[in-house]
Amino acid sequence: MDLGLNVWAAFELSTLPQQVINGLLLGAIYALIALGYTMVYGVLRLINFAHGEVFMLGAYTALFASWFLGYGKGSTLETSGPANLMILLIASMCVCGIVGVAIERFAYRPMRSQPRIAALITAIGVSLLIQYGGALVLPIAPPPSINEKVNPYRGVVTMNLVGGDPQLLEGYEKAKIEFETAEKEWQAARDAKAPDEAIRTLRDKKNDADRTMGDLQRRMDNSGVKIRIPQGQLIMFGTTIVLMIMLTYLVMFTAVGRAMRAVSHDFDSASLMGINVGKIVTITFLIGSMLASAGAMMNATFLGTPLTTFFGVMPGVKAFVAAVLGGIGNIPGAVLGGFLMGIAETAVIWAGYGQYKDAIAFIILIVVLLFRPGGLLGSAKVEKV
Amino acid sequence: MKFFAVRAGSIALAVAACFALQSFAVGKGDLFFRLVFLAGLYVTLAVSLNLINGITGQFSIGHAAFYMVGAYGAGYMANNYAGSWGLKGPLLMLVLLLIGAVVAAVAGLVVGLPSLRLRGDYLAVVTLGFGEIIRIFVQNSPPLGGAYGLTVDAQFKFKYVWMVWLLAILCIAVCRNLLKSAHGLPFLAVREDEIASSAMGVNVTRVKVTAFVIGSAFAGAAGAMLANFDGFISPTSFPMELSFTILTMVVLGGTGSITGSALAGGVLFYIPEYLRDLKPVSGSSLVAAVIAVIAAVYVVKRIADHYHGDKGKRAALYLGTIIAGVALQMILAAVFKNVPSLANANFEASKLRMVIFSSTLIILMLLRPQGVFAHHEFSWSWVQRLFGKKVPTTAVSV
Repeated sequence: MDLGLNVWAAFELSTLPQQVINGLLLGAIYALIALGYTMVYGVLRLINFAHGEVFMLGAYTALFASWFLGYGKGSTLETSGPANLMILLIASMCVCGIVGVAIERFAYRPMRSQPRIAALITAIGVSLLIQYGGALVLPIAPPPSINEKVNPYRGVVTMNLVGGDPQLLEGYEKAKIEFETAEKEWQAARDAKAPDEAIRTLRDKKNDADRTMGDLQRRMDNSGVKIRIPQGQLIMFGTTIVLMIMLTYLVMFTAVGRAMRAVSHDFDSASLMGINVGKIVTITFLIGSMLASAGAMMNATFLGTPLTTFFGVMPGVKAFVAAVLGGIGNIPGAVLGGFLMGIAETAVIWAGYGQYKDAIAFIILIVVLLFRPGGLLGSAKVEKV
Repeated sequence: MKFFAVRAGSIALAVAACFALQSFAVGKGDLFFRLVFLAGLYVTLAVSLNLINGITGQFSIGHAAFYMVGAYGAGYMANNYAGSWGLKGPLLMLVLLLIGAVVAAVAGLVVGLPSLRLRGDYLAVVTLGFGEIIRIFVQNSPPLGGAYGLTVDAQFKFKYVWMVWLLAILCIAVCRNLLKSAHGLPFLAVREDEIASSAMGVNVTRVKVTAFVIGSAFAGAAGAMLANFDGFISPTSFPMELSFTILTMVVLGGTGSITGSALAGGVLFYIPEYLRDLKPVSGSSLVAAVIAVIAAVYVVKRIADHYHGDKGKRAALYLGTIIAGVALQMILAAVFKNVPSLANANFEASKLRMVIFSSTLIILMLLRPQGVFAHHEFSWSWVQRLFGKKVPTTAVSV
């Protein structure tokens, strides 16, 4: 059956570094969400299906915070410093932290003594309830969902890895001078009120020169290797890395982190050793939700994705796949899985199969689970459910 | 001899019942006809998912994918090949039905073989992912109509409600006989304890794959029915929420109970159809309902956890709570009418469908995780016992 595939449709080797960077940028967000999944799974052995919805609520909180700051529809406010971004970030992290803890307290905690399937079904129920219940009250925000004036960093960072072809560059310089002289001549003729015929000829000459210059510029650009990153995405990436380092510190070098690892290792023994397990679970949900909402806020602010209440479904599912890919319950695994997922998705788009970018996540998942049922960094255990 | 007589009698009775339903449904209007048709379809879907989720204890949340595979398989064959077979009416439908079942069974095998080595929640994600993969591939496949959908040229007007119900009864019979016979014991053993059953010599993977294949074959057959009934299928007819709807049916009816899933399938499918004709719900009554439901659930949970007295008294307490909840909703709705921002907000009833389903799931898990019927089945001895006759309980189907 012809699936309508055209192999190597948009395959261009000189864009490889740019694609790798795109993949890493995308993967950072997946990794950030995946951390929440993996931490909750590590502690409770529960897939928190509602995590994607926490992500969605984080984006909505950022939207409402931006409205509150006066950047609503038709606002005339100009861009001010990075303080607005900080307010948005803190607002969505606080709100989502509370939401995550509330979900745990009211939906998952009563399920603690029930079989795991019951908790899983509850999680699916909570996720659906937030999606569809939210659709009743929350507005749909078309792109750019958050007024882009909130964001002071709208420029693009360009890096030239390999310069363009020198011959083309020479040609381009020549064409540029030609264009400039032609334009000057045309303007001079216009100012001097020359006959129409002459002006038209000069204008045509200028347009021709413009076209040649543009063409040469495109060819020169394609012959070189360069990376373009919007400043916003760079900030997004930096913040993600900082958050991950903070999380690593928290988990590896603090008392709370040690308790978390103990609970994840053995829930019952940890509670016998005097760890307040309920508190640790709450903290886990708090941190996981805050990480996801930070990702959501940056996603909505810097990428301007349209917001609906189903905004979190696809990122959530992919991040979960990333967590499973890396070995669920394993924090470095989630980060690794997230980056792999981002790169895989970009690679699929790069190869010209953009329409399959949502399918690739699951295909990778199935393939990896075939060979390593416990994920890349995890260990497979047969468990009595 | 008695065995075969009873069997033949029940088969004849089932067929007769299906035809009686057919003659009853025809001439009652298109809408009613469609409802009877859909009820049969959803009973099949719920019971077949119950075979996977309830009886074998696996956790599949991608049942709509197999439904979709069956529908597209049958639809594609009907469009491109059925003309040359020279078959007509029910016979053609039967062949298409088998094609849908086989295609879906193959899909079930393909998903099942690699993923059934996985633990419960991993399997859940793989089935979910499989549904998405199928949907995306169909969306990008021109021969299957892509995102625009596929118009199925069925070459006949589908009016065989009896066939849908016969399929549903067949599905129920297969599951019931599986449970009652020695072949079904491994399924139950795998559900109860995978490690112990494999130690007892049960081929766990084979049992799981078998359950998967049978379950998806029935879903595929149901899909073939749908394709020929509607005459049009598109990827949007099989969204992820359909899988969750079927899952809700199984969980509500009681995971593992054929009776429960069949009844839940027949009842729950009607909710969206019912909500479609409802007037918009005002914000005041909706908020009142939310508060009342939360309060009632809280009280019921308290009673269930802390009151260990007489059964009758407890039932009375539950009933009282429900009545109090309804009363609370009415009072609050009347109070909230005075809040203009609530009273003026209107919500389309059809949009409440998934909200109702999802809250049902959560409330059910909080109050009765084993579902309404739990593991119990409808049986004649149960009816006899209801009328005070002493009947010995059977060993199987606990």
